Amino acid sequence: MVDQAKLREVAREVISREDVRLLIGYRPGTYGFRARPAFVESAEQVEELVFTPACVSNLASYLVLEEKPPLPRGAEPDNRKVAVMVKGCDSRALVQQMVEKAYERDHLVVLGIPCSGVVDMARVEARFPGVLSAGSIIREGDDFVLSFDGKTEKVPAAELLADKCKRCRYPTPLVSDIMLDDEVERFAEDDFSDIAELEGKSVEEKWAYWAEKFSRCIRCYSCRNVCPMCYCEDCILDRLKPVWMRRSVDISENTAFHISRAYHLAGRCIQCGECARVCPVDIPLMELNRKFYKDVEELYDYEPGLSTEATPLLSTFSVEDREDFIL
Amino acid sequence: MADKILKKDKAAEALKELSKFRLFAPAKSDDVVLFRQIEDPAEACLDYANSTVPPKKVVFPQTETLFRFKLGNPELREKNVEEEGTTVIFGLRPCDARAMSIVDNLFSWDYEDPYYLKRRELTTLVGMACVTPPSVNCFCASVGGEPFGTENLDLLLVDMGEEYLVKVLTDKGGKLAETIGSFMENAPEGAAAKAEELAGAAREALSRSIDTSGIEAKLPALWDSPLWKEVSAACLGCGICTYLCPTCHCFDIQDEVEDAEGRRCRMWDSCMFREYTLHASGHNPRPTRKERTRNRISHKYSYFPGKFGVIACVGCGRCVNLCPVNIDILEILGKVVEA
Repeated sequence: MVDQAKLREVAREVISREDVRLLIGYRPGTYGFRARPAFVESAEQVEELVFTPACVSNLASYLVLEEKPPLPRGAEPDNRKVAVMVKGCDSRALVQQMVEKAYERDHLVVLGIPCSGVVDMARVEARFPGVLSAGSIIREGDDFVLSFDGKTEKVPAAELLADKCKRCRYPTPLVSDIMLDDEVERFAEDDFSDIAELEGKSVEEKWAYWAEKFSRCIRCYSCRNVCPMCYCEDCILDRLKPVWMRRSVDISENTAFHISRAYHLAGRCIQCGECARVCPVDIPLMELNRKFYKDVEELYDYEPGLSTEATPLLSTFSVEDREDFIL
Repeated sequence: MADKILKKDKAAEALKELSKFRLFAPAKSDDVVLFRQIEDPAEACLDYANSTVPPKKVVFPQTETLFRFKLGNPELREKNVEEEGTTVIFGLRPCDARAMSIVDNLFSWDYEDPYYLKRRELTTLVGMACVTPPSVNCFCASVGGEPFGTENLDLLLVDMGEEYLVKVLTDKGGKLAETIGSFMENAPEGAAAKAEELAGAAREALSRSIDTSGIEAKLPALWDSPLWKEVSAACLGCGICTYLCPTCHCFDIQDEVEDAEGRRCRMWDSCMFREYTLHASGHNPRPTRKERTRNRISHKYSYFPGKFGVIACVGCGRCVNLCPVNIDILEILGKVVEA
């Protein structure tokens, strides 16, 4: 696990640099086992920084979330660099954002965190309900060790790990300026067996399955907003003229929303799983994204977010491209 | 009417009887508990913490048709809420019931909203006391509520283990109790005292609190405070905190037209969305998440109490529990108090 003192030391050095305006990391949350994003603008703030298996958020989303309101007359934009802590999965979002030219590589200082997996907070809270005072989670070998309210509990990691971590292909960041720990070797494989059941369903069964899930959607757009790859300045969902998608919440519009989003993420989703994590009504959005991911990999031998030298899948054409699935 | 007892093994029969009305009760969809219309009592899940989406959606649907129209036909076909008929929300938490009385202020203020108010009139609220606080982030007692609160409820059920103690609180509740009278018996002596004890223990079990005195006056003075940037930096700008808030009531009105026919409908809107305040000119008076967060907190704890004399927050804790990035209204209010 990352040495917390080293992490703060590196963070202090980075935020003290004149060419860095902001460092995005993690700090303990306000209750229970939660950790949350931290926005550090001065060296004094680094003391609160942590990295633990509770650091579930993909901070790459913040690089494309910041609003740019008009500046007061005469004011100059602050174009200094942003430093960001990324796990292996999160780093792929940075890569893909750069592939899409969301910003230049030298806009970033990447603090890479080789990661052996984060927890599924819902599993933690189901297992240890009602913990208010700040509890900590650390990784010790094959276990998570949870300390709270003066107690210590050891739980086999597999029982609390987030599903995405159980099939993580890239635990060590693929882009980084400063690596905060030793490389973590690939410890899992991804055979997409989790979506085999969905793939095996008939069209009617699929519709019944998704109709039930989508009917719960309240269109809070947390899936869109948390997604590091959903960063259109002007999302078609917000357009009123013309109305591409109605705001009314019903099975038809909800389905249109989720399917459109999944299509827009084909060849772009980097499997961080944030959409499914944040959904308040537990719509298994990653099942859709993973189906697309698998198809893209099989059809085009393409995985997004691996190299900044790559070109975006759907904006390139090769005569070698498969077309036998085109009707 | 005197207190009654509804044995748990009779609850299904009582719900069956109530399903002759438009009956909403907490029910599980996978692991998510939501209020939905119940036809089969087996769908109901009364042993629950709290619903993810508050039952406000029954009286204030996320999307509702106001009227339908046809090109060339001046006659509008208005929605007749009366047709929805008698509605029962069964098993809602006292905070969520109280939230409706807070929202009533808005919908009966300068313009009496016929859709909302008619639905409220048609709806009977059967509460389920919180013997155990549904979450660690419950703080109802800090904002005028109680785990066993009766405000705005017609009936209150208290889970006593093998049975529910049923307290009849209004005439409307009395009428509803009569329809399921055959499944209930008179409460034995001492039941009320036991419920009192449980209520005291539940109040004690609330782990979070905030002293709200002075916040209403203080918020406007903190307009330019750096605290807003600090507390909103992690905000994703999604609608979870507002859509899942039992007192948030903002809506948009849009026309949905296809060919020569259409409908005017209203749907929930969220002050956390960018286009909520976006002007046609392109100017946005709340250009970033900072201003939107400031507005959300100020509206609940200053503007609304200034206008209606009650804080627009019931301490249900949903916005804290479900925020993807742990933005915590109690932490923000704590900073406001300290500032």
